[in-house]
Amino acid sequence: MSKDILIVDNLNMHYETLEGKVMAVNNVTFSVKEGESFGLVGESGCGKSSVAATLLQLQSDNAVISSGSIKLDNQELVGMTESDLRKVRWNDISIVFQGAMNAWNPVIKIGEQIREAIREHHPNNTKKENTDKISELFKIVGLDDSIMDRFPHELSGGMKQRAVIALALSCDPKIVIADEPTTALDVVIQDQILKEIKKVQELLGLSLIYISHDIAVIAEMTDNMAVMYAGSIVEKGPTASIFSNPKHAYTRLLLESTPSVVGEKKKLRALDGEPPSLINGLEGCAFSPRCPEPSDDCKSKKLDMSLIEIENGHWADQCCVNCG
Amino acid sequence: MVEYIVRRTLQMIVVFFIFLVSSYLLFNAIPGNAFSNLLLNPNLPPDAYQKVLETYGLDKPLFERVQLYVVNFFKGDFGYSYKYFPKTPIELIAERLPRTLMLFSVVNIVAFYTGFFIGKVLAWRRGSKSETWITITSVFSYTVFYPWFALMMLWFFGYKMGWFPIGKFLYPEKWYDAPFDSDVIFAMMIKFVLVVSLIQFAAYTVTRGIESLSSRRNIRFLSLIAIFIGSYFYWNTGEALSRKPYAADIAYHMILPVLVVTIVAFAGTALLTRTTMMEVLKEDYILTARAKGISQKRIRDRHAARTALLPVVTSFIFTIVTIIDGSVLTEQIFSWPGMGQLLLQAVLEEDIPVAMASFSFVGVFALLAHLIADISYSYLDPRIRVKSQG
Repeated sequence: MSKDILIVDNLNMHYETLEGKVMAVNNVTFSVKEGESFGLVGESGCGKSSVAATLLQLQSDNAVISSGSIKLDNQELVGMTESDLRKVRWNDISIVFQGAMNAWNPVIKIGEQIREAIREHHPNNTKKENTDKISELFKIVGLDDSIMDRFPHELSGGMKQRAVIALALSCDPKIVIADEPTTALDVVIQDQILKEIKKVQELLGLSLIYISHDIAVIAEMTDNMAVMYAGSIVEKGPTASIFSNPKHAYTRLLLESTPSVVGEKKKLRALDGEPPSLINGLEGCAFSPRCPEPSDDCKSKKLDMSLIEIENGHWADQCCVNCG
Repeated sequence: MVEYIVRRTLQMIVVFFIFLVSSYLLFNAIPGNAFSNLLLNPNLPPDAYQKVLETYGLDKPLFERVQLYVVNFFKGDFGYSYKYFPKTPIELIAERLPRTLMLFSVVNIVAFYTGFFIGKVLAWRRGSKSETWITITSVFSYTVFYPWFALMMLWFFGYKMGWFPIGKFLYPEKWYDAPFDSDVIFAMMIKFVLVVSLIQFAAYTVTRGIESLSSRRNIRFLSLIAIFIGSYFYWNTGEALSRKPYAADIAYHMILPVLVVTIVAFAGTALLTRTTMMEVLKEDYILTARAKGISQKRIRDRHAARTALLPVVTSFIFTIVTIIDGSVLTEQIFSWPGMGQLLLQAVLEEDIPVAMASFSFVGVFALLAHLIADISYSYLDPRIRVKSQG
């Protein structure tokens, strides 16, 4: 049994806005094992990217972590000083942002931007060592060495995304967060990039957190997964188990809204309504207004929403377990 | 790139030709016979008068005069000053130009660096109390009525406090028995500033290739110390030592004008930098840079400020264009006998050859600055680098 490399425990984060507190991350608890690939899925605005930003402590200035802890390799990240965090970032945990188009500074060469990251964490490296490192990374992600001397605008979208992956790997991080890395790409390139990420992950034995709104991609990419809704995790467990036996009504609807290539043709179901506003938090079951079969209990404000374990490693929130 | 520069130069020659002809026509439209100034000049013997008249075709019809002027101009013959007869416009400009260049190159360098620095700090500290106050001050100094402000400063620092001289660019009594002209000192000072900035630039360029950031910083620091030591020795040995008091005199007279113009000029750069950089700071690559664990200072300088530089440099280069015509006001207020005063006097006294030559100089300067602006873009932003085709 490999050990947990990242443990997120009861994390609560909200944004202070003029209209009130936006409770973006509520009681999020999960852990990622060494060499494991962990998926985080949910619709837009459910707090996936907020979780990603919080893991690196890169949240915007108005974000407040009210409680909880993030332990990366037994190192507590919440409350760490900026200068200590700088050493952890990229060296221990790196991120592939959504939209590689804008992840590169337009006036600095690709090679120099990767070099800069390595230089920050390995200040004593010689120029040759860094160049060799970048060229090795480029080989892994399938890029030519000449890309180093190119500017971002000279690259295609797929090349930029590959280079971003190389950038994320440049300091040999313990864990990589992929925050919708294929969003801005067309389907063919998406597929290539996904394969690339999977290949790299298996090759280097990386721990990976894969964030996406596309549950099909999560199925392909991950060992374990969590489903987020309205800032909370509503169901988590081994990917296979969740797909074969979804417990939460939201997960079921997500699965039914994705077309399947094999098997019988089913009518796709769409989820009515909008995700709830997170301003000033929610009480009771956040999903109840959209739930196809809500009970009276669900609407009660006093509902305990903590997760319970249903079968080995498969957790879901109490409301929907009781309903279903 | 070469092809682009050649093409632009050819365009510039055409534009300059149009500029020259229309300036001449405008001066010709001044009522009265400007040429009578020459007649009244007591330094001019009658036979010389006749000679000038013939050489420049001053009694010919307008069309022939323009033709003759343009031909002479491209031959390098600008005629004679009507007012200071034996002197040519070129001699007058050569005497005045260093004074203006010295004053305004210092002003521009200081204003650009302070403006850019303050702008980037303002954008970085967005929302803080100091940011609000400095921004308000900048807006004030950007919009203040400049002549009023200059006179106020002159009154306060020059008259009330008596810290700085009120007019002129030197104390004439000090220079009474000086063995050389003030131009010599100006040329020397300009050369000194040029050499120092070249050394600094070279040090910066060479160290860019060094991988370790700390040794990069150390070498830059050492080069700065070397410049200080070098300039100390330069001003305390040989010829420069004997000229030092005179150079110091000029520098002393420069302080107040430099201060006043800088206060007015830095604000535009600062506000522009602040605005552009605030846009840049929202970009995703700033977040990437933070995620990489790069220091805040380096993100500010290398990622945000560097990318925000383009519009700032554009506006800066266009400010340089207005050095000479912009100096009219400043030089008048501070009685600094430079190009601006020459231009103004020549126009007021209808000394047309001098005025034409000064204006042509302004024109050439403006055209060159635009070319430099376009070339420097390609170094600042690789996305608009000109492809040399064929």
